[in-house]
Amino acid sequence: MIFRSEASRGYTLSAPATAYVGFLVAAPLLILIAYSFWTQTYVTLDKTPTLKNYRDAFADPLVRHLMLRSVWIAGAVTIATVALAYPIAYFIAMKARKKTIWLLLITIPFWSSYLLRVFAWKLILGFNGVMNSALLMLGLIDEPLDFLLYNEFAVVLTLAHAWAPFAILPIYVSLQKIDPSLLEAATDLGNSPLQRFMRVTLPLTIPGIIAACLIIFIPTVGDYVTPALVGGSDGKMIANLIQVQFGAANNWPLGATLSMIAMLSVGFVAIVFVITATRLGRRIR
Amino acid sequence: MTTGNIIELRGVEKRYGTFLAASGINLDLKEGEFFSLLGPSGCGKTTVLRMIAGFQEPTKGTVLIDGQDMEGVPANNRPTNMVFQSYAIFPHLNVGNNVAYGLRGKAPKAEIDQRVAEALDMVELGGLQDRGASELSGGQRQRVALARALIMRPKVLLLDEPLSALDKKLREQMQFEMRNLQQSLGITFVMVTHDQYEAMTMSDRIGVMFNGRLKQVDTPTTLYARPCDQQVASFIGEMNILPAQLLGETGDMLSIDAAAFGRIEIERNPNVVTSAKDMNIGIRPEQLEIAAQRPEDYPSTVQGTVSNVAFYGENIHYHIQVAGTEKPISVSVPNYFHTVDFQRGDAVWLGLQGASVIDLGTDKK
Repeated sequence: MIFRSEASRGYTLSAPATAYVGFLVAAPLLILIAYSFWTQTYVTLDKTPTLKNYRDAFADPLVRHLMLRSVWIAGAVTIATVALAYPIAYFIAMKARKKTIWLLLITIPFWSSYLLRVFAWKLILGFNGVMNSALLMLGLIDEPLDFLLYNEFAVVLTLAHAWAPFAILPIYVSLQKIDPSLLEAATDLGNSPLQRFMRVTLPLTIPGIIAACLIIFIPTVGDYVTPALVGGSDGKMIANLIQVQFGAANNWPLGATLSMIAMLSVGFVAIVFVITATRLGRRIR
Repeated sequence: MTTGNIIELRGVEKRYGTFLAASGINLDLKEGEFFSLLGPSGCGKTTVLRMIAGFQEPTKGTVLIDGQDMEGVPANNRPTNMVFQSYAIFPHLNVGNNVAYGLRGKAPKAEIDQRVAEALDMVELGGLQDRGASELSGGQRQRVALARALIMRPKVLLLDEPLSALDKKLREQMQFEMRNLQQSLGITFVMVTHDQYEAMTMSDRIGVMFNGRLKQVDTPTTLYARPCDQQVASFIGEMNILPAQLLGETGDMLSIDAAAFGRIEIERNPNVVTSAKDMNIGIRPEQLEIAAQRPEDYPSTVQGTVSNVAFYGENIHYHIQVAGTEKPISVSVPNYFHTVDFQRGDAVWLGLQGASVIDLGTDKK
């Protein structure tokens, strides 16, 4: 009888999950934290704890610039994605007849690899790409536009497309849960459709909007592939710098420090956002 | 043009594809009356209410509120307010903000606060402004929904099955409270219900609907005593329906042969047509006398056997098998002395007065 007590049975059942979280999340995180307080001296690692990396990182204008740009790009992606996703989710939840088919259609981009989708955008936005050829053929422009690819805009566009389903689904769920009689009650009490949306639908979908924003914002700040492929030099983000530290620059401690700064910044922005959004929602009456 | 009618429905029809939800609805509602639309579920009563509210447009016909044609007027611009079956309390707002909802932006804050306090006092929820929507009991939700609608001072208050979600005790209490509220405010209430007792206790008049048609519009007492057909007769209260033969008529009195009960004189029912020899009569269970000995002073008596006894507390229901009728006759006796006088199998006598018999007319061919 191995499972004599409730407690030991509980520990045994949760052991795989605990091991997973311990070895693959907690341990790497602890190693990362440790590294951020060490120093790289050419090929060897000086393990005397120091805050030098943090001082260097904060003093470096490039780090500050890339961090701010990462937050700004991720913020722009989040706003663009949620703004585009809301009407789609609204249509599916409130107007569409065959909801399952619509939801299935939304997940279609996931049937191909993320890398392929980023390359697809390169083909669309490139100097000789689909967009430019089409505009040239229609005679709307005389020479190809060069501001489409390799900049912040391309990064925002590509990420917004990639993350759209993650925004649509939580908003769809929160819209779906709204009792239709609440909307009728708002109309009955004299609201126009727009007033009704602002006073009932929107506040009741704030949890869905918050979820969508966090799901998109948090991973986007640290996105590496998209800025590397379509960002050019204008569109580089903090993750690209971190990658360099672990690779070419061979300065793991600084890379770890930059990772820590990125994580803490994201956490801070996310907490401020959740509190603000919740407060704003409560003020709607 | 003032006709004294706050709501007029003229030949209103609502069609969903091939399904006729309501048709040929003609109805005049007087200012300040408590009107109920009564019928089984799916009879179209809620459709009629929603057409008055403006949530649905009639396929045909006209809805007039206070003499104004409501065609093309959206629900948010109609002088009606509704208490929803689910109450539709906004979950993100507290009680005060729920009640104030319709006034926001239309009146100064001080006035809104004062009217909210008055409305909450009126439904006996005074001082609960800050209570969260999720912290309310079923009865409180109902009161908030009522206050939220009444604060708008509507010309007509529409109530969609307002009491169906409450337990029996609370429902009976609310019936009286809502009736008192309606009488003190003098606002026209239009209530949809499938509960005949609710309709009878609260309403000035009741409209009975079956299969999308308004069968009869009358006061509760008239509906009970002079139903327009067998369907209405058996929907409102319990009714023994028996075949009878028309023997002769003098003025408003009919002379009939009521099967087992024999020859009896009854009053003509102006709501039905009694022309041919074959007709139907109805007898309410509480209008029959039941006794061990042949009852005196009854023009018609019949002997039978108790086939079933049901004890309801305030009264006792007996089913009596009588020679000459297929179905047993239902009799209800008030529980006077806490005794159940007859048991299954007992031989009993039934006594009947002519005034108790309802003329249900000749079947329409």
